[in-house]
Amino acid sequence: MNKRDKLAEIVGGDNFSDTPEALETYARDFSLTPPAAPDCVVKPKDVQEVQKVIKLANEHSLPVVPTSSGAHFHGATIAKKGGIILDLSRMNRIMEVDELNRRVRMEVGVTWEQIISHLEKRGFRIMTPLLPHPLRSAVTDCLEREVITNTVYDYGEPLQSMEVVWPTGEIFRTGSASVAGYPDSPSKGANPSGPGIDFYRFLQGAQGTMGVVTWANIKIELLTKMDKIFLAPVQDLGYAIEFLYKILRLRIGQECLLLNNINLAAIMAEDWAKDFPKLRKSLAPWTLVLVISGHQRRPEGKLEYEEKALSDVVKNEFPKIPLAENLPGLPGSGKKLLAMLRKPWPKEVTYWKNRYKGGCQSLFFITRPELAPKFVSTMEKIAAKHGYPASDIGGYLQPIEHNRACHLEFNLYYDPASRSEVERTQKLYREAAPLLMKEGALFSRPYGELAKLVYDKANGYAQTLKRVKKLFDPNNIMNPGNLCF
Amino acid sequence: MLKGKVSLDVTRLDNFEYDMSKCIKCKGCTWVDHIYMPGVTFSTRCPSATRYLFDSHGAYGKMRIGIAMLEGRMDYSDKLLEILYACTLCGACDVGCKRNLDLEIELSLEALRIKAVKDGKGPMPQHKKVAQNISKEHNRFGSPHQNRGKWLPDNIKPAQKADVLYFVGCSASYKNPEIAQATAKILNAAGTPFMLLADEWCCGNMLYSVGMVDEARELARRNIEAVRKTGAKTLLLSCAEGYRMWKVDYPKLLNIATADLGFRVVHLVELVDELIKKGTLKFTKTVNLRLTYHDSCSLSRLSEPWTPWSGERGEWGMVSPSLERRRGTNGVYQPPRDILKSIPGVELVEMIRMKENAFCCGAGRGTQEAFPDFASWAAGERLKEVKAIGAEAIVATCPWCKDNFAKTAKENGQKLKVFDIAEIILAAI
Amino acid sequence: MAISKEAYKGLEAIVGKEYISADPAVCEGYRAGPGGYECGLGYERVMTKIPACVIMPRTTEEVQKIVKTCNKYKVPYVPYSTGWYGPRSHCHVDDELIIDLKRMNDFEIDEKHLYAVVGPGIIYSQLQEEAMNRGMYIIIGGGGAQCSAIANMIGDGWSPLSYRIGLPHRRILGTELVLPDGELVKMGSLATGDDPFWGDGLGPDLRGLLRGFTGHRGFLGIVTRMAIKLLPFQPERLEPAGISPHTTLMLPEKRVKWINFTMPSKDAMREAMFEMAKAEIGGGVTKVPIFWRAIARANSKEEFWELWSKENEETISSFHLLRVLLIAFTSEEQMEYEEQVLNEIIAELGGEARRTRPSDESWFKNADSAGMWLMCGGYVSVDYVIETIEHAIPHGENYAKLKRNYTPPLMPDYGDPGWFQSFELGHQGYSEFLVYWDPDVNSDGVDQFYLETSKENIRKRFYTSLLGPHQPLYLTGPAYGPNYHEWLLKIKNEFDPLFICHPPVPLAHDEFVKRAEWMKPMKDWESPI
Repeated sequence: MNKRDKLAEIVGGDNFSDTPEALETYARDFSLTPPAAPDCVVKPKDVQEVQKVIKLANEHSLPVVPTSSGAHFHGATIAKKGGIILDLSRMNRIMEVDELNRRVRMEVGVTWEQIISHLEKRGFRIMTPLLPHPLRSAVTDCLEREVITNTVYDYGEPLQSMEVVWPTGEIFRTGSASVAGYPDSPSKGANPSGPGIDFYRFLQGAQGTMGVVTWANIKIELLTKMDKIFLAPVQDLGYAIEFLYKILRLRIGQECLLLNNINLAAIMAEDWAKDFPKLRKSLAPWTLVLVISGHQRRPEGKLEYEEKALSDVVKNEFPKIPLAENLPGLPGSGKKLLAMLRKPWPKEVTYWKNRYKGGCQSLFFITRPELAPKFVSTMEKIAAKHGYPASDIGGYLQPIEHNRACHLEFNLYYDPASRSEVERTQKLYREAAPLLMKEGALFSRPYGELAKLVYDKANGYAQTLKRVKKLFDPNNIMNPGNLCF
Repeated sequence: MLKGKVSLDVTRLDNFEYDMSKCIKCKGCTWVDHIYMPGVTFSTRCPSATRYLFDSHGAYGKMRIGIAMLEGRMDYSDKLLEILYACTLCGACDVGCKRNLDLEIELSLEALRIKAVKDGKGPMPQHKKVAQNISKEHNRFGSPHQNRGKWLPDNIKPAQKADVLYFVGCSASYKNPEIAQATAKILNAAGTPFMLLADEWCCGNMLYSVGMVDEARELARRNIEAVRKTGAKTLLLSCAEGYRMWKVDYPKLLNIATADLGFRVVHLVELVDELIKKGTLKFTKTVNLRLTYHDSCSLSRLSEPWTPWSGERGEWGMVSPSLERRRGTNGVYQPPRDILKSIPGVELVEMIRMKENAFCCGAGRGTQEAFPDFASWAAGERLKEVKAIGAEAIVATCPWCKDNFAKTAKENGQKLKVFDIAEIILAAI
Repeated sequence: MAISKEAYKGLEAIVGKEYISADPAVCEGYRAGPGGYECGLGYERVMTKIPACVIMPRTTEEVQKIVKTCNKYKVPYVPYSTGWYGPRSHCHVDDELIIDLKRMNDFEIDEKHLYAVVGPGIIYSQLQEEAMNRGMYIIIGGGGAQCSAIANMIGDGWSPLSYRIGLPHRRILGTELVLPDGELVKMGSLATGDDPFWGDGLGPDLRGLLRGFTGHRGFLGIVTRMAIKLLPFQPERLEPAGISPHTTLMLPEKRVKWINFTMPSKDAMREAMFEMAKAEIGGGVTKVPIFWRAIARANSKEEFWELWSKENEETISSFHLLRVLLIAFTSEEQMEYEEQVLNEIIAELGGEARRTRPSDESWFKNADSAGMWLMCGGYVSVDYVIETIEHAIPHGENYAKLKRNYTPPLMPDYGDPGWFQSFELGHQGYSEFLVYWDPDVNSDGVDQFYLETSKENIRKRFYTSLLGPHQPLYLTGPAYGPNYHEWLLKIKNEFDPLFICHPPVPLAHDEFVKRAEWMKPMKDWESPI
């Protein structure tokens, strides 16, 4: 039996495909990564099938590209060296919602849309990145360290223990799920760490190169009982950032972020043709979004003291931050945004990053918040060089954990049908990335071309990473062509 | 002895086998009490551990070395003697350990030195020289004994009979007469008559401290007898080392309690504090100084009275009868501060490491003689602290401290006034 | 016992004469026991040795050179920050070098971005003071203020304050690790530059090499520099007060407050923890084991036993003391709010507030951790684990049952089921089981109990801290993962092919079982050792 047939046998004929049409769907994504078709696509239904596929791939040194989402933005699931697309979207069970310990265990095929609504019905919420694509895998976004909009929880990442199939085919559970017989055990899988070594760290940010995660335990929170949103138009980004240093350190706020006018316009526009141009013109260069919340008991009491502390800071130190429930001239904008922040992007609307021109290449990194204005100005300069209007660059600043750092994202919008726009965007991206890196931008998640840039600089790190990778994936079958592998 | 009969008798190292073997290496003996930890600078209070750095030179190393010595697994060497003797026995380790545990660290260190001397290996050659001086001229300098009383100013007459006997000590008699003179003048001004010993001999501080326990005991007997003969009710000292020797180590040597000496042992600061609070002595002059107070070890950590103890150690390491251990809680910390605070013009700014956390000056108990560089270094470390708090003067209650600070400040070119508290008190009355 | 002359010369050339010694007295000073954490036990007696040589480097470059020299001359070595962890931090083989890192005490702090950068010579109380002086705070792990911050951050690192702050793993930022073969790997943002502010990345996260749930205890390289997250605190000073032995931090009551509550049952305590977590209030919460209260009250060992002998199974099983920490991070009004919510919860559950001293010596500076040794002179935690509260409670109860078979030599605790806490606002729970014995009587039973707990965890499917180097690797390996040990050994072999970084760890406990007569009968698992 040839490999093709063996694969079809493992997952069933209906779940195997190598037709050009099927392969084409996986050959490209929303990024500027050059398309590359895989050799075939398999859709396993459970971890045993995953294991068999991987064992086979190992035997024949076939690349395996795991994917679980219905939308991809970074090119990490394009089969750069061909091989098998391991599409895990059938593995989309929400396996358990542990209300007592505020934990959900779900397969990688579960989407944001699925999990958010499932939890909401039970009175829970999950920390999300900003307006995630509804079809993105929630587990994958956690694994890939997508930055969340909530800045207040001191315990950091939501990811707990997981099940993984190593590139050599062993099924393994990390953290406290590693006990024999899990989940039939006193252990609930709430501890991500161990056993013996922190395997979960190798899987994070790995773009599927270290193994195939099949399910994960993720922390969840109770729905808030009361919320209040504050919005403020921001003329001086640096001033607003200083304000955030102050208030986020006082642990004020749940969600807190800054969006520039074009991004906020793309997010808020309902009637696109009418609203978008109006909003992008009328909105301030940046807008601060801050939500404070009351929890299960005396929620009004929490809102009260938090709001008082907030207004004291504004009054005494930052009078130029005009926080209000709505944006000037936009009644109801607060309520609308608040509702949006707790849900994935609506499926029936084009994803906000693709609304403006269809294409969006995002350049994002981690940095110290106070450096953001400098980076904005650098981007504008480089954009000007390439004839790219600065007013077309989307901006998003996500403070992280009391504003100790932030995720800064520039969205380069382009028309994918226009060759000149594609080229211009590519050139801009390629020039901006090393310049920003030189100025201190940390590309902690180096997708696509950024990988070479980053790992050339972090050569020692790359060498060690390769040594570790080789232990887990001696035949280099897991998603080769990404990171430094 | 881990179980069975045990006592606080330092002449037998096996009395401290339990203590040495139970050191948990928490280094509470070296670090400033964590509650008072000031941060990344001035973090330690053990000069030996801070200077020499190897674990061997901290109490945790010495406890392990002590067990090896007890078990006959340790050969004597220059390095071993350095480990045992490059240490001022300042008591920081003892107090630090006893914050949480019941281990007798200081007594273990004393017992180790006594063993080294008994084994014919200790003390250091420089100590032997001082012992010879004491034996010959009854003072640690080897200066002529007949000159001992020369410090006394003509206009001060000691009483023939009085409640208070002022024991001057070698340092104030020969090297720091200003301290003795100030003390005498203070007593005069307070209308407190005082006797002097007709034939005052060295208290033997260094002898005891380096482990020459027989010689020290002989001196103790002789000196106590001499004081008892005078009928003095109070023995007054202006030297912290001497104070400790009389109050703690004399009773220890004779296996009696401090209370059984037959007289109170009092430091000048305790007396002056009493007199000021009673109103007998008044501060009428202004002393304009921004000064800091250095807690001399023997007046602070090490100054609690001694009670001999013997008993049994049994289950779980418990001893019976139970005893109240000396943990440095009731050292003479407050009286000198109260004195200084009540002098008009004085601005008392505290050291970062104060009271039981104080960093020893480095001079005492045989250290300066055998390890002068170490003594200078320790004083230098303390003077860095003085600089950090911006004090223009440092005040101590011991001539050893005063000397070492003054010498080191001069060597380092540090602009600093160094005083004994007697001088400050005198200037204010 | 010695390292070769050439090796010694090579090492001396790196640090200078003053910072290296092979003197027998100096080396004796580095003996693990007989006192200390997990000392006075078989492992310490059978597995540890004194070093043949001690070296004290100052910089990462010196550490690298030392490690490379060791590789060149095949000198086994062990990194050592304070030696506080007990025998597992000390030499295990003959002719070994101990690399004492105490001189690596550089310190920087970035108040605005909430982190400090430390070397292995910086201990927690130093770091905490520097943080608190600037309106921030850290967790000082249960090991105490005297722990090297780095060693604890890669080894353990939690306390009742983990209720709010969570796992230490996430508080590790830019880090430098000298691998066992001498190569230097910089992690987080240090991988691409000098700014240590960020820990994740780049791409897959090599911080995975630093520890497992608990640490490697030195068998996988030497961390020479680490940036550590600091957490925003509140602005009032915690004033130190008192004279030894009764020193304490006075709490600014409008901002920081401990409250003790007696609860009607263990279930009520557990419920209280969950309710607090759901309400998202509190800065710390823990059940108080009754003997800790006796330790705090006793002025001596004898006094402790006097107090303790008054307890019995009934008093223990009916003692439910919950200790809650409230921190008003945002404002004084937050304290009022949280206290109101807390009192509501407690009232619902039938609890009652006790008069509580407005001071702390145990957790903000953790100055009294050494007190664990007051009672008997011997102490070890036979297990401690973060999982859920639901795991924590039966875990402790299970140990209490098992412990009866080993009491004596273990100290009688009248069936106390260990202590438990809530971590990460109720997402996790913590249990720890501490045991005490008199090290001067036969302690073989303690060694056996220690191993028995590992087997019990496996039987009952509990998670545990004591994996990796802490228990026989070939016992725990197949049971967790499964076969985590195979990966661990692969990593070890890759980075330490000569096996000279802290040999024979992680197989030391396997070795111990092999060598100790009283342990041999317990070996009932497959192992090449």
